[in-house]
Amino acid sequence: MAQTLGEDLVLSSELQDDSSSLGSDSELSGPGPYRQADRYGFIGGNSAELGPGQPSADLIRQREMKWVEMTSHWEKTMSRRYKKVKMQCRKGIPSALRARCWPLLCGAQVCQNNNPGTYQELAVAPGDPQWMETIGRDLHRQFPLHEMFVSPQGHGQQGLLQVLKAYTLYRPEQGYCQAQGPVAAVLLMHLPPEEAFWCLVQICEVYLPGYYGPHMEAVQLDAEVFMALLRRLLPRVYQHLQQVGVGPLLYLPEWFLCLFTRSLPFPTVLRIWDAFLSEGAKVLFRVGLTLMRLALGTVEQRAACPGLLETLGALRAIPPTQLQEEAFMSQVHSVALSERDLQREIRIQLAQLPKSSPGPAPLPQARLPGAQAIFESQQLARIRGSTKPEIPRIVVQPPEEPRPPRRKPQTRGKTFHGLLTRARGPPIEGPSRSHRGSTSFLDTRF
Amino acid sequence: MTGKDDDYNFVFKVVLIGESGVGKTNLLSRFTRNEFSHDSRTTIGVEFSTRTVMLGTAAVKAQIWDTAGLERYRAITSAYYRGAVGALLVFDLTKHQTYAVVERWLKELYDHAEATIVVMLVGNKSDLSQAREVPTEEACMFAENNGLLFLETSALDSTNVELAFQTVLKEIFAKVSKQRQNSTRANAITLGNAQAEQDSGPGEKKACCISL
Repeated sequence: MAQTLGEDLVLSSELQDDSSSLGSDSELSGPGPYRQADRYGFIGGNSAELGPGQPSADLIRQREMKWVEMTSHWEKTMSRRYKKVKMQCRKGIPSALRARCWPLLCGAQVCQNNNPGTYQELAVAPGDPQWMETIGRDLHRQFPLHEMFVSPQGHGQQGLLQVLKAYTLYRPEQGYCQAQGPVAAVLLMHLPPEEAFWCLVQICEVYLPGYYGPHMEAVQLDAEVFMALLRRLLPRVYQHLQQVGVGPLLYLPEWFLCLFTRSLPFPTVLRIWDAFLSEGAKVLFRVGLTLMRLALGTVEQRAACPGLLETLGALRAIPPTQLQEEAFMSQVHSVALSERDLQREIRIQLAQLPKSSPGPAPLPQARLPGAQAIFESQQLARIRGSTKPEIPRIVVQPPEEPRPPRRKPQTRGKTFHGLLTRARGPPIEGPSRSHRGSTSFLDTRF
Repeated sequence: MTGKDDDYNFVFKVVLIGESGVGKTNLLSRFTRNEFSHDSRTTIGVEFSTRTVMLGTAAVKAQIWDTAGLERYRAITSAYYRGAVGALLVFDLTKHQTYAVVERWLKELYDHAEATIVVMLVGNKSDLSQAREVPTEEACMFAENNGLLFLETSALDSTNVELAFQTVLKEIFAKVSKQRQNSTRANAITLGNAQAEQDSGPGEKKACCISL
């Protein structure tokens, strides 16, 4: 399997003792024999072998060419053929092209173009000492087993410091949230610091506003939403969790805040990110529900977890074979949860939040559900002539009478049954469809 | 659940609290797995680990919980304290700032946990003696004035880690035994009895989840 990226990262056995073969970052700070890094850069990792169901080299090349073509005319692609983008993201962006595609998908490229010099200013400005100390303490604790982040002077930890510091300067009222570390680290594994920074901005402000700020109010809301979805879609799992006293805050924050980087095999994490950047927070819920089903979906599994600790343990002990990217993502994409379902549940849970809870109320309407909504928003901002794209900001204000949602959901009433029934097999390829005459992006249903 | 973990009479939930970076995660790993790592990951969600110890003739399963210390996580970690009967309030004795906020952490603890919770103040990183910023006497006095146990530990070289957890567990056990003696229930539990006293759900068939 011709994976040039992977081959670069894997040492041949003759070089095992030569720590300089991959540059300064491969020097380990501690004693011990140097071990091979896997194709993703994880020292001692086992992703050298690709799992079953991997696409052939030809298929990868085909997909690469499609992406090159789509990204060469990105505005046209997003205006007319978002469905294709979405499908391709579900299939997985070829690893060689993530660096090109992610900033386009999440709108970071536009942010960067609209803010020339901003990142450079942030990078050289002195950071707030309080944040700098906290960030500094965490730098070596993000991906300690990844070769890029092993050395304190390496460009991994330094890049992380720069990007996280820049964010605290860019949004001082938000400051630093430890979960931004793993998110920024994965971005830096693919992108130079400036691009990584703007992607981080988009994730924190547009995909998941209210997640990384001082009160994390949106995390609390989404935890309630997740429970409500569990009750509807996996009622027996829900019952079990209630019985053993496992609330969502015991597992959901690490999943969602870190976008699963701490919880799942790395190749699967990258596939989740492809879908998440394309379709938004809905993907996180689908992944969470899939994990719940894999861990606790059968009577036997629940019986093996008589208590809280066993249940939490089961969530962390799903066999790796079931988390392998192709099979796993196929199940994720067939979860019966549409954007409209999610929005409806968010509205319901928001209304039920206790008014007395401290901190600001979450603003779910500030959240954009993926690449298409971001694209529209940025187009609109450009048409209106503003120099900055409209990035919703967290505004702390007393709750008003309910306002209509800022963006109409893309759903238009039709339910896309093709993805709801797992019995019809993996929906990755989608139902075959002839290219429609109409190329309006309003045709897309998601 | 299989193996030796099945043979215990009691389950005591103990939480680790304190500022980010003081060493909670390594105290956990040192006590439950005899491991220490300079590069353990930042704790973001909730971590836990267990270890069964003998207190006299009773087998006690210590359920140790660990979570993020950064301020903003307080909003989402209140569930963390539920049912805790012991707490280790950890500070880094080489960073005075982590000790200065101990009162705030105590308040946080008492806001969320039972008033009878057993608390030990722990000054960690005693191996870095030359970088000490918190005098032992000062912390010891604070602990005494506030009804807390106190020890200085090093998760790195293991100093006092075992003792810290054992002391807290013994203290909890003593409280439990006393409560049992004072109990007016007809069928009081004896130490050898492994039946659950109250209905704690379909969970612990073999042990008691104690709440004081």
